[in-house]
Amino acid sequence: MAPQDRYLTLLTSLPAHGPLFGAKQTPLSRLRLRKRLAWLEPEDSEDLTRLAAATDWHRQRFDVDDEAVVQQAEQAIAQIHNAFTRDLAGWRLELRTVVAALRRRRAGEPAPSGRRKWGFGRWVPHIARHWTEPHFRLERVYPWLPEAKRLMDDGDPLGLERLLLGAVWTHLERIGAGHEFDFEAVIVYVTRWDLVARWTRYDADAALARFDALLETALTGVDLDLAA
Amino acid sequence: MNELVIALGWTGMFGALALSAIGSIMGCAIAGQAAIGAMVDTESGQGRYLGVSVMPSTGVIYGIVIMFTLQREVTAGSAPGIFGIGLLAGIALLYASVLQGRACASAIQAMKVKPEIFGLSLAPAAIVEGFSVFVFVFALVLAGNIPA
Repeated sequence: MAPQDRYLTLLTSLPAHGPLFGAKQTPLSRLRLRKRLAWLEPEDSEDLTRLAAATDWHRQRFDVDDEAVVQQAEQAIAQIHNAFTRDLAGWRLELRTVVAALRRRRAGEPAPSGRRKWGFGRWVPHIARHWTEPHFRLERVYPWLPEAKRLMDDGDPLGLERLLLGAVWTHLERIGAGHEFDFEAVIVYVTRWDLVARWTRYDADAALARFDALLETALTGVDLDLAA
Repeated sequence: MNELVIALGWTGMFGALALSAIGSIMGCAIAGQAAIGAMVDTESGQGRYLGVSVMPSTGVIYGIVIMFTLQREVTAGSAPGIFGIGLLAGIALLYASVLQGRACASAIQAMKVKPEIFGLSLAPAAIVEGFSVFVFVFALVLAGNIPA
């Protein structure tokens, strides 16, 4: 079977993604997705695991310094065999580096020194050089950067998250064109599934917070009744 | 030299069938895998997926008919014509069937998401089929002009 048709059965067995921000839930559960991904070749499965290790937020360590985090990400990415997957992991970490730089500068931190690694990818020295520029002279590379800065300055984290998720979604759409039934298409599908899962979970969190507030109000009444 | 020419004649005669069969095998396997995947994900309409997945099998039927049309006494005069028509028709049918299989796989994927585009999604595969028919018809026409 040709490489471009390697995962025909797997990909046609996966339900299609709708638009990211219209989704109420993921098109299939995490358990079912994991079962389907068991059809991957061992090497591809390892690549997918390494991509997740490099990019999943819940797998990141926050008890170590920036240099250790960057080193860990570089090691995970270097072990990925598939070039498409490696590029995607690198692109996502570069995006996070740019957003982290915006946050650090907003917090009043000075330009990072060149001695210590504080971010990932090709833009690290460029950002340090253009620390005082509003968008680090990267607005041509990342057209969403001015809008991200505005949302950050306005204190709108949900709007910022929506913008960043949308930027990743659009990037996946662009790089996924021409990949229909190959491993690259699987990578695009799984990454999109993660984005949908994250977005819909945010909604669930909001619902949970609302539920807690309602519960608290109701219990306050109960306490009063008991006291009476 | 004469034996080589005659061997090429036989190669062309059976090549039409063999190459088109290889194409149909690959095309049906590609579309069939897509159909199986779609069946896993859906509760109904599985018959349609299976029906679409056998579309590339027409290539081998054209190959069989071309082979019988080319079937005659293989001589030094007829062998070059049989070789040229049989081999080139076989290669064309092979490619058509493989790519038709890919078109069918895409159609299955599309109709799984939007069942209402069942007919439209098959248009690319049908166009590829049209090119196979061109090869088939003109191979038959030219086979009639092969000298004895």
